[in-house]
Amino acid sequence: MKTLKMEFYKIKRRKIGLTMCALMAVQFLWLIWAFRNPSESERLQGWLGTLYSMPLINSIMMPTIMAVLASRLADVEHKGNTYKQLETLRTASSLFHAKVFCGLIFIVLMFVAQFTFLILFGHYLRYEGQPDIGYYLRYLLLSLICTFALYLLQLALSMLFFNQMVPLVVGLCGSMLGLILMYLYNWNFRFLFPWGGYISTMFVGADWDQNTRIMTYYYMETTENGFLGHGFIVLWMILFYVVGRILFTRREV
Amino acid sequence: MNSIIKTIRTERIKLKRSPVWLAFFALPIISAFFGTFNYLNNLELLKSEWYSLWSQHSLFLCYFFMPALIGTYCSYLWRLEHTRHNWNSFLTAPVPIFALYLGKLVQAAIMIVLSNIWIFLLFYLCGRLSGIQSAFPVAALEWFVCGVIGGIVICCLQLLMSLVIRSFAVPIGIGLVGGIGGLLATSKGWGLNYPYSLYSMGMRANKPQMELDLMTFGIHAMGYIIVFIVLSVFYLHEHEMAAG
Repeated sequence: MKTLKMEFYKIKRRKIGLTMCALMAVQFLWLIWAFRNPSESERLQGWLGTLYSMPLINSIMMPTIMAVLASRLADVEHKGNTYKQLETLRTASSLFHAKVFCGLIFIVLMFVAQFTFLILFGHYLRYEGQPDIGYYLRYLLLSLICTFALYLLQLALSMLFFNQMVPLVVGLCGSMLGLILMYLYNWNFRFLFPWGGYISTMFVGADWDQNTRIMTYYYMETTENGFLGHGFIVLWMILFYVVGRILFTRREV
Repeated sequence: MNSIIKTIRTERIKLKRSPVWLAFFALPIISAFFGTFNYLNNLELLKSEWYSLWSQHSLFLCYFFMPALIGTYCSYLWRLEHTRHNWNSFLTAPVPIFALYLGKLVQAAIMIVLSNIWIFLLFYLCGRLSGIQSAFPVAALEWFVCGVIGGIVICCLQLLMSLVIRSFAVPIGIGLVGGIGGLLATSKGWGLNYPYSLYSMGMRANKPQMELDLMTFGIHAMGYIIVFIVLSVFYLHEHEMAAG
């Protein structure tokens, strides 16, 4: 707890919260721009359409946002060259956990803000009916797990490499892979990439009618592949946590 | 002139054996692989051969990722000074501040040229491997040159950001956001008024047959370059650069 408290002291006035707010604001602006004038059919299926669109937007933005967050939290130690001193006061493991929890707090706050925005925005656009809270909470939980897994990966990289270019480039490549995997809709093994988690756990599908130019959304049944997708995001999270912790605690400072 | 050459050489020495080029090598490969895959899977819709292939190659790379990637490189260039008290030795070097700045800018511009060569080489190879038999479009030379100019605009802007914002990661986030904003600006027809759009416009990302008034494009690009260079040099002159 003390180490976690120290993390917040360290990042005081580093404007990490402001950076995250700004990046999330861009995501919200993107949504406002994309959905500002819904047609009648879009309004009828608005709540479903949101659940279809959000994993796609998260796939593009979240890997880079997580790279930025992890880099900001880890870089404070690189710049100050504080690892040696800190590890004489606290165990390396507690320092790692403090960074993990600190990041997790930011992630939870970001997704709570996103969730609230989606609900308010849907009501503002007068989407038909009410959001299916069960499915919305499922989206929230899955997104949190995917994002947290990516954060753990990025944190491990940011703590291990002094040159922050490496983790940031991994984040960017992750964003690009996420975007690409989105288009490989016939490929069943997207869950094999941690950045494919948002897409492989999607539970809303869409049919595009070329003649009417109307998109019809529907809830998909969870197939064997879907279960694998869900399993894999948890697996990635555990793997990145365990490997990151081992590598961080056993390295020479 | 002599001092500018010296700073360019110095910057090159600082970057020696640094793996920063790897990102510029890797990201276009991902984009080219996916673009070609998508092109081959949609041959019944994409009938304009080289032009269709280019639309698939360039879309995501130019809009979303090159601005952020350029941001990464520019952040790295200034990070060398932001860490380990290097500002002291950097600013006391016996060369004008403009030359110091130009040393950084030239390195970033060289990387833009090299990565564009790599992007077009991949485009050519993927086209031939996809079975496109027609001649390589001459217009690609124009896309290349305009792309480099647009890239240099982003370099100037990102160098300014990374100079002012001492964080390594934040300017990269801004670069990603800027790229996404560029997509919106271009779709609204405001591309020339938004510096992040110039790279994708110059490269004709996703719109290989787009008509671009080269004179207007050049004037806008030059305007941005001059403004960002002046702001950066002014900042270096006037602001106290605390080394830390």
